[in-house]
Amino acid sequence: MPDIAIPSIPTVPVTPAVLEGLRAIVGDKGLILDEPGKQPFVTDWRGSLVGSAAVVVRPANTDEVSRVVKLCFDNGVAIVPQGGNTGLMGGATPYPTHSGIVLSLGRMNHVLEVDPVGYSMTVEAGCVLQTLQETAASHDRFFPLSLGAQGSCMIGGNLSTNAGGVQVLRYGNARNLVLGLEVVLPNGDVWNGLRSLKKDNTGYDLKHLFMGAEGTLGVITKAVLKLWPAPKDVATAWLAIRDPQAAIEVLSEAHAASEDNVGSCELMSRTATEMILRHVPGTQDPLKADTPWYLLLEWSSSRLKPEGGEGMSEKMEQFLADQMEVGRVLDAVIAQSEAQSRNMWRIREGAAEASRAEGPGLSYDVSVSISKIPSFIDKGIRAALDILPTIRPYPLGHIGDGNIHFSFMGPKGMDRETLHQYAPAITRAVNDLVRDMAGSISAEHGIGIDKIDELAHYRSRIELDTMRSLKRALDSKNIMNPGKILRL
Amino acid sequence: MTEFLDKLRAIIGERGLITDEPGKHPYLTDWRENYLGTALAVVRPASTAEVADVVKLCVAEKVAIVPQGGNTGMMGGGTPRQNSREIVLSLNRMNRIVEIDPIGYTMTVEAGVILKTIQETAARHDRLFPLSLAAEGSCSIGGNLSTNAGGVQVLHYGNARQLVLGIEVVTPQGEVWDGLRALKKDNTGYDLRDLYLGAEGTLGIITRAVLKLWPKPKDTATSWIAVPSPEAAVALLSGAHAASEDNVTSCELMGRQGIDLVLQHIPGSVDPLTERHDWYVLLEWASTRARRQGANETGLAEKMEAYLGEALETGLVLDAALAQNEAQARAFWALRENHSEAQKREGPSIKHDISVSVSKIPAFMKEGLAAMKKVLPECRPVPFGHVGDGNLHFNCQSPPGWDKPRFMAYSEAISSAVYDLVVSYGGSISAEHGIGQLKVEELVHYRSKIELDTMRAIKRALDPLNLMNPGKIIQV
Repeated sequence: MPDIAIPSIPTVPVTPAVLEGLRAIVGDKGLILDEPGKQPFVTDWRGSLVGSAAVVVRPANTDEVSRVVKLCFDNGVAIVPQGGNTGLMGGATPYPTHSGIVLSLGRMNHVLEVDPVGYSMTVEAGCVLQTLQETAASHDRFFPLSLGAQGSCMIGGNLSTNAGGVQVLRYGNARNLVLGLEVVLPNGDVWNGLRSLKKDNTGYDLKHLFMGAEGTLGVITKAVLKLWPAPKDVATAWLAIRDPQAAIEVLSEAHAASEDNVGSCELMSRTATEMILRHVPGTQDPLKADTPWYLLLEWSSSRLKPEGGEGMSEKMEQFLADQMEVGRVLDAVIAQSEAQSRNMWRIREGAAEASRAEGPGLSYDVSVSISKIPSFIDKGIRAALDILPTIRPYPLGHIGDGNIHFSFMGPKGMDRETLHQYAPAITRAVNDLVRDMAGSISAEHGIGIDKIDELAHYRSRIELDTMRSLKRALDSKNIMNPGKILRL
Repeated sequence: MTEFLDKLRAIIGERGLITDEPGKHPYLTDWRENYLGTALAVVRPASTAEVADVVKLCVAEKVAIVPQGGNTGMMGGGTPRQNSREIVLSLNRMNRIVEIDPIGYTMTVEAGVILKTIQETAARHDRLFPLSLAAEGSCSIGGNLSTNAGGVQVLHYGNARQLVLGIEVVTPQGEVWDGLRALKKDNTGYDLRDLYLGAEGTLGIITRAVLKLWPKPKDTATSWIAVPSPEAAVALLSGAHAASEDNVTSCELMGRQGIDLVLQHIPGSVDPLTERHDWYVLLEWASTRARRQGANETGLAEKMEAYLGEALETGLVLDAALAQNEAQARAFWALRENHSEAQKREGPSIKHDISVSVSKIPAFMKEGLAAMKKVLPECRPVPFGHVGDGNLHFNCQSPPGWDKPRFMAYSEAISSAVYDLVVSYGGSISAEHGIGQLKVEELVHYRSKIELDTMRAIKRALDPLNLMNPGKIIQV
């Protein structure tokens, strides 16, 4: 567990009578009672949080979820909903004091309907993200949510955490990819909001309230997802740029030049790039330019490149020439092959792997408005260096979303324990700066267990009180993922 | 009462307070003049702090508050009820553009800024704010956001909800929630923003917003097209996505009945085509890339012309006029935008703002028109709408010469017939206009008890005294 005091949560035990009730609903194959069997469900994937649960319950359909939740509600038993268990903030991991159930959606993994003409797909919460991407592709459609854990994360968890990833700039966060939801409420009632309408102004937007609530207001059981045309013409480039301000200006101009086809725009520091080239096998420096800042820029269109006509890469070439003329871009290379484009993306996505190999470090998933990124990077690095002058910053991130993974390698030769003595002061300095610049201390990873105290520290009393009022209103017994996001 | 007014005056000053009946009148009736309410006063604060102080006073005095923007809503959501202890809180003095950030594609505005002012401000910075609807010259952004307004560009850019990054809200307790974040990504707890958007002022008062901007279109093509049927309109749109390279920004369907009303009542209106047709489509494509010089360059106009030429041959299109200049394009748009005004001048009408999935529009149109005629054979249906969003304004004009009471006697039966059909198609009984006062009963009738109870629980949790626009959307 992180260094937080565990919030007080309901500790009603699963009595033999409740257990028999659960068995009657989901059958033996839907129950896991033995410790080794439960282990993967009570530990987060990083292995840093270990909790407990009386039983892991794996219902096969919405009706079973509803009856399980109703039984828990009637008895005051707490529930931790769980998808693929790939979260970074411990939102799906029970506390050590948890005496209730883990409710795993993994058996609800059916794609119920694909409507390529209407560009929508209806799915159960336990579908693995990659399966959904592949299902869409097999219908010449595109489901844009894409992130590192896509081979094991589940759509229910993606929606409950409003997941981000590398296509947010173009398509939005997970909440923008959804038309309708079905949710089992904390009393076991089923809210059928499975609508596939583009326009529906009939009262409060419940859908958006459940998305991003990390399972604290109900259990998402089904969703109607939006689909897009599959990309057919893609251009990827690696740019050496003057500075982060130039990156923002390049992006600002790229929207029009690409005719609104900017797919990704990722800022990389030279320090990050070098670290990755050092540790990730097979990566090659796309530009032999020794400049401090780079941009990975990708444009994509759903229209096939016309025969002999102008496609994405010709438009990008013209654009980059213009940008070099005005001095924002110092040098650039457009990928001429799939392999070259893969190399560029491998560098961008190799940051996590490289940082593990490099040794101990610190990382913050923050966002500010796009225009403030240069100033944030500048001030943030100075604030960290003031505390620990030998720390080695390597910022990178989804600049088009204003989302920086503000990361640091420890000073050369400094061990983990020594570095972590400096961590609280650096965390405070970085997050204070985020607050002063009206940013977010968790751009895409959520709050879960890890950031519960940070949220309480940085959000206004009014905002926290409003959230608490909503939680109490919808989950009167505080049985739905209690102690996550908020202390009541 | 006098004491209450004195306290209000102490907060907002004399010029922020309207207490005389003639002065109050425009704030007490809705745009369509379906509702006439009463209010202790019309209160026009000049800042967020004043809004908060007014709300706090109202909490202390147990006076309800009806927030109001440009007062252009269709459902009576901004109109007070009769004989209630209510004030109208108008945001129309809070009309400043606070900040514009063209590089970051954002604009921060106060709630009372007129939509058109926002569009023009964006345009001056070579940017686009895409929300666009008939009332844009008088509606204000606070109301647009509180009702999650739609309009003619939803097809390409989304509803009002999709055009906002952050909002500032005065809560029913008179506290200020500063959610004015210009952030694209912020996963820190419940999404309060999307709860206030579309809540029609029943959960709090939106006082400021950070809006998203887009690149300004540089090449636009607009056509007025006669089509044989709604089926043809849907097929025309379906093919237009590829033909325009995903640049379809508007696709509006209109029946002849509405065109006749516009031509009759709106001076200066001209039928762009020589012959009469039953159905029309207003199609607009826009690209952010400017046309380049050169003989071989095909801009959107050439592409649209080629597309419509093919459609003429296959019979999907009967006749078409491509706007040759901006004045012509504006004239086409005026025919579409003046539908509501023309209907109002013609006399009483019943409005249904419904949505179904796009592919179901033709079937729905056929059955829906028959359903209205079955209730009242002499009624005059005026269907038009945003075909690309599956959203139809499925309106019904009174028989010629009927007065309002006589026609309204049929209102419930006609609406029930339409809404029953909408629900059987899996559609929405209010696609963009919201619930307000007008559809409170319908919402209760057509939504599940679980959904209504959840909404009530939220309303009670955030507004336990039920002082914020009470009786709108849902009764508690």
